Amino acid sequence: MESWQTRFKTAFSPSSRQKYWIWARQNLLSTWSNVLLTLVSLGIIATTLTALGTWIFTQAQWEVVTVNLRLIFVGRYPVEQIWRLWLVLMLLVTVPALSWGVMQGWGRRESAWGIGGGAGLVGAITLSNQGLEPTAWLCCITGIALGSGYLGAWSQQQPWGKPLKTWLPLLWFLTFFVMLWLISGGLGLTTVSTTFWNGLLLTLLVAVVSIVLSFPLGVFLALGRQSQLPVIRVVSTGYIELIRGLPLIGILFMAQVMLPLLLPPQITVDQLVRAIAGLSLFSAAYLAETVRGGLQSIPNGQWEASRALGLSTPLTLSLIVLPQALRTVVPAIVGQFISLFKDTALLSIVGLVELTGIARSITSQAEYLGRYAEVYLVLGLIYWLFCYGMSVASRRLELPSGS
Amino acid sequence: MTDAVTNVVDISASPIISAQGIEKWYGTFQVLKGVDLEVYPQEVVVLMGPSGSGKSTLIRTLNGLESHEKGSIIIDGVALTQNPRHLEAIRREVGMVFQQFNLFPHLTVLQNITLSPIWVRRLFKPQAEEIAMQLLERVGILEQAHKYPGQLSGGQQQRVAIARALAMQPKIMLFDEPTSALDPEMVREVLDVMRSLAEGGMTMVIVTHEVGFAREVADHVLLMDQGQVVERATPAEFFLNPKEERSRQFLAQILA
Ligand SMILES: Nc1ncnc2c1ncn2[C@@H]1O[C@H](COP(=O)(O)OP(=O)(O)OP(=O)(O)O)[C@@H](O)[C@H]1O
Ligand SMILES: [Mg+2]
Repeated sequence: MESWQTRFKTAFSPSSRQKYWIWARQNLLSTWSNVLLTLVSLGIIATTLTALGTWIFTQAQWEVVTVNLRLIFVGRYPVEQIWRLWLVLMLLVTVPALSWGVMQGWGRRESAWGIGGGAGLVGAITLSNQGLEPTAWLCCITGIALGSGYLGAWSQQQPWGKPLKTWLPLLWFLTFFVMLWLISGGLGLTTVSTTFWNGLLLTLLVAVVSIVLSFPLGVFLALGRQSQLPVIRVVSTGYIELIRGLPLIGILFMAQVMLPLLLPPQITVDQLVRAIAGLSLFSAAYLAETVRGGLQSIPNGQWEASRALGLSTPLTLSLIVLPQALRTVVPAIVGQFISLFKDTALLSIVGLVELTGIARSITSQAEYLGRYAEVYLVLGLIYWLFCYGMSVASRRLELPSGS
Repeated sequence: MTDAVTNVVDISASPIISAQGIEKWYGTFQVLKGVDLEVYPQEVVVLMGPSGSGKSTLIRTLNGLESHEKGSIIIDGVALTQNPRHLEAIRREVGMVFQQFNLFPHLTVLQNITLSPIWVRRLFKPQAEEIAMQLLERVGILEQAHKYPGQLSGGQQQRVAIARALAMQPKIMLFDEPTSALDPEMVREVLDVMRSLAEGGMTMVIVTHEVGFAREVADHVLLMDQGQVVERATPAEFFLNPKEERSRQFLAQILA
């Protein structure tokens, strides 16, 4: 791969400037009507950007965001316990960096992304006057993440490092529970009730847990739909078709309002748990259909070869069929996870104060009444950053490929 | 070479495959109409017959990939039923090689071969890999162990498939047209491997149209037509002096 310096030089050398000109002539200015179209488009883009830029830099009052930044990120989580969330963030960055180092290596590109991301956040935090503490935490976290990326890559050069790959899923599994413990408390930490988990914290938590739960559920439903046993097949198909015919908001309302009516009064289910259940159950039905597509793309010969080798049906599924089926549908699955992430916004309607919910409460603060645009622009930016991140990561992630 | 390759088959021993009166339907269409088949240890049986005569169906019932409606199949003393326990026991004894190789594309050659020794016979990985490497050497592609199937030629893939089946150390090997999907120049390398297997005393049932190979390696040739075995004879008799009119027609067609 060429380094960015050479890329930079070639991009701006005279010969390539000529190339750009030729490209523009061929694609943007080939005919008169094309020239006109190009000019009109440029005009529209320019006016929009100037209007937006002017608004951002001269008219918008960002105080509503900077003052409420903590609210946006962690809501009403007790201030004296926030160090626990910083630790969560540290795990949230370190473990993926370590895994990436182990699986894909850690080069200049990774470091550049890491330093760039870290610097961006530090810059944003500093600009918004949050004091020294967040800056210190962010610098620290960036450093540790970069270090663990290098560590992961370095471990693969060592004779003892190879088996590390197989332990990564366990590490993620454990990390998940450590994070839950840090957030909720207990076992020596002060307990923080779920009603105080708001903002981005809640959005991420709900999204991650729903994704993690809906994936196996979706796979089981997909397998159930293909099952030889009529009962399992009918139940799976019925479930999938039922859920796919209902709007998500309806399912969320049902989970929040109807479930308590159906359950005996002494059993109370946390609002958060109900929300996660609704989202996972919804998402699983769609995942099942995606996974089914993947299953159907596996030729019958694979089943036959596996059975002829004496492998039982569960082994055939888990070693032969699912690995191939899932690999073919990874992009579609990531797409579904992205929409699940965005769908968490609907939880604000059923009374959870996640990112969108907190935005609603901020815009109703007396001193910032009517400052919708600033708040929702930042909100959009946050959603977009995470969704785009997922999409980029899934494209970059080169699965160990066969054939 | 002449029939010298052929192993002496011990007829006094009991047959390792014994199929009696097998009948099978696909809906209302009867594919197998009462087939009897006996194969003795170390015997090589070649199945021939026109397309659609039921050769694949027959060979696939022998390891339970297809169920049969009537008749009995006994493999090495175990009755073949659709009971998963019995099936898995039988499949440990019976290796199968397919026309389309059916290798697992997401696994390396080595992983393809060690998969079932590790998961079904519960060998430890190093032991399974040692066996796999020996097999790869035997089929002449030791240097390809860490490649993926998609990176190999058809002939190499089929040799991997043979090694994969052998890794279970089966007593019987079934081949369903193992060379039909190969370019002509690769047919030989696969037939050579099969020939050396026969020389080593493996019991084999082979569906093939390779007359030269059948003449040289088979102990018996069976001609199937419309779901029935029409003739069973030694290769010498079958190719030079077939008894049945149907066999003569078939030979005239494929030797033309
Ligand atoms: N799954 C199936 N459903 C319905 N009919 C089938 C099925 N599989 C095979 N048949 C039919 O059964 C008959 C025998 O098929 P089989 O594959 O055993 O023939 P074959 O002798 O192996 O032929 P070929 O030389 O073309 O491979 C054919 O008429 C075929 O159309
Ligand atoms: Mg066939």
